[in-house]
Amino acid sequence: MSDTIDMVDKLLADLKNIGGVEACAAASRDGLLIRAVMQKELYLESLVAMSATILGASETATTQVQKGVPNRVIVETDYGKLIIVGAGPKALLIVLASQDTGLGLILLELQKSAMKLKELLK
Amino acid sequence: MVETGIPKLDDFLGGGIPVGKSLVYYNQPGIEGEIFGLQTIYSNLKSGGTGVFVVSSTMPDLVKSQFKEFGWDIELYNDKLFFVDAYNPLIGAPSNEKYVVSQPDNIEGFNKIITDLIKELPPSTIVFGSLSTIMDLCGEKETIEAVKTWNKMAMLYDHVIIYNFTAWPYSQETLDLIKNDLFNAVISIGGIAERVIFGQYFGILKSDWTEETKKSMLFRVLRPGGIKLYIPKILVTGAFDAGKSTFVHALSTRAISVDRLGTTIALDHGHIDYKGFSADIFGTPGQERFDPIIKLLSGESMGVFLVVDSTNPADFVRAKHMLEITKAYGLPYIIVANKQDVSGALTPEEIKEQFNMPEDVTVVPVVAKDKIGVFEAFEVLIDKITGGT
Ligand SMILES: Nc1nc2c(ncn2[C@@H]2O[C@H](COP(=O)(O)OP(=O)(O)O)[C@@H](O)[C@H]2O)c(=O)[nH]1
Ligand SMILES: [Mg+2]
Repeated sequence: MSDTIDMVDKLLADLKNIGGVEACAAASRDGLLIRAVMQKELYLESLVAMSATILGASETATTQVQKGVPNRVIVETDYGKLIIVGAGPKALLIVLASQDTGLGLILLELQKSAMKLKELLK
Repeated sequence: MVETGIPKLDDFLGGGIPVGKSLVYYNQPGIEGEIFGLQTIYSNLKSGGTGVFVVSSTMPDLVKSQFKEFGWDIELYNDKLFFVDAYNPLIGAPSNEKYVVSQPDNIEGFNKIITDLIKELPPSTIVFGSLSTIMDLCGEKETIEAVKTWNKMAMLYDHVIIYNFTAWPYSQETLDLIKNDLFNAVISIGGIAERVIFGQYFGILKSDWTEETKKSMLFRVLRPGGIKLYIPKILVTGAFDAGKSTFVHALSTRAISVDRLGTTIALDHGHIDYKGFSADIFGTPGQERFDPIIKLLSGESMGVFLVVDSTNPADFVRAKHMLEITKAYGLPYIIVANKQDVSGALTPEEIKEQFNMPEDVTVVPVVAKDKIGVFEAFEVLIDKITGGT
């Protein structure tokens, strides 16, 4: 019950602690916010809905041409980065990172977190 | 009747709490339950009543600033709102309140103050900020005996008496008494982690003046704003060009769309705050090539608006198909008969006939581009989602 929520919060807090991570969120595949950790108060519901759409559309696109499912979707702008990773059949993870941050460590940790989130929501 | 001021709860309770009755907000630990008592007091002050707040777990000044955080100006009601300070004496601090419990860990002293004010004040709404704290300080058995007296006296003197109680691991006997016997009504407040819906809900466990409702409602606490009923997803679907995006924007307090060349290619997303409800709205594209992502994004919906272009019956087949794709059958849904401003638009009755829909489906006439009928449609759907009134 609320234990799961605490564990999801802990997982997100760990992700947020990585240098360059500005915000991160766990969401359902169908676009609902589960939990989030962020620096500024952002209105995350739209970001989450759009992120689920982006990941869903990407997966639909690549599987239709027999290229499997994407490991992640990375969106880069002049001001920052948005990374979306599937976490099992029910959930996904979203990370907002600053523009000047290298992605190496973030991607590595994100992969681990995604595995953990998948287990937590089983 | 005294209204709780909690959206929908008053409906569930048949209008509110009758004078003389007692009610407990029974909270799971870790849930933002304390605000229920605050909101009830404030709602009473606003409608001209007198309120008493018994403060046990923090300084009265802090409680006052909590009211402010929610945007509730209690200064306007200085002569109508009384605090019972059962906290400052505990930490040896002076108190500015009219009623002070000098020994908050002694039930006798507590009892005296409460019974005095019950006799002295005009019919009021008396809220105990934390019954659990009183129990922790005075003992479970002792407190329960006192509560029995307070409830009877409140009945005698025509008050409404309300307690916030957090269900820490007290003895099973105590918890059972509180849940079943001690109060006229029990509102349970808890957390859920069901599938992917993580949130807080309230529901009626017991109420001896209304018929039973098993309904429970998700809620959110907004600062300012207080308790809002929360609906995480309402779907807006229908054929291409029916006016889905226009409808989402007309309804929403804020909304965004992913449109290219005038048509939605991903999703409309809007948020609406209306009459105590806080809801997020997902609008789908209409064309068949987007069906895979529509399927993906329609999960967990709590209700559906099916938007149709009233001038274009040819689209009704596709609209019905959208209901299937989104697995909306079985969910509460209504038909939004849009573009009623265009001459030749079919009436809601004609649409119902041509659609071949079940008799009980509601068709609401709407002109989305002029925001006509959109909030009526929202209210009808919300009523279906929340089980009506
Ligand atoms: N006359 C009229 N036109 C409308 C109304 N609502 C939407 N429209 C128009 O219908 C077209 C399609 O609207 P849109 O919201 O993009 O439809 P969608 O494809 O279902 O999202 C646009 O040109 C709108 O301006 C309405 O109530 N009356
Ligand atoms: Mg559209």
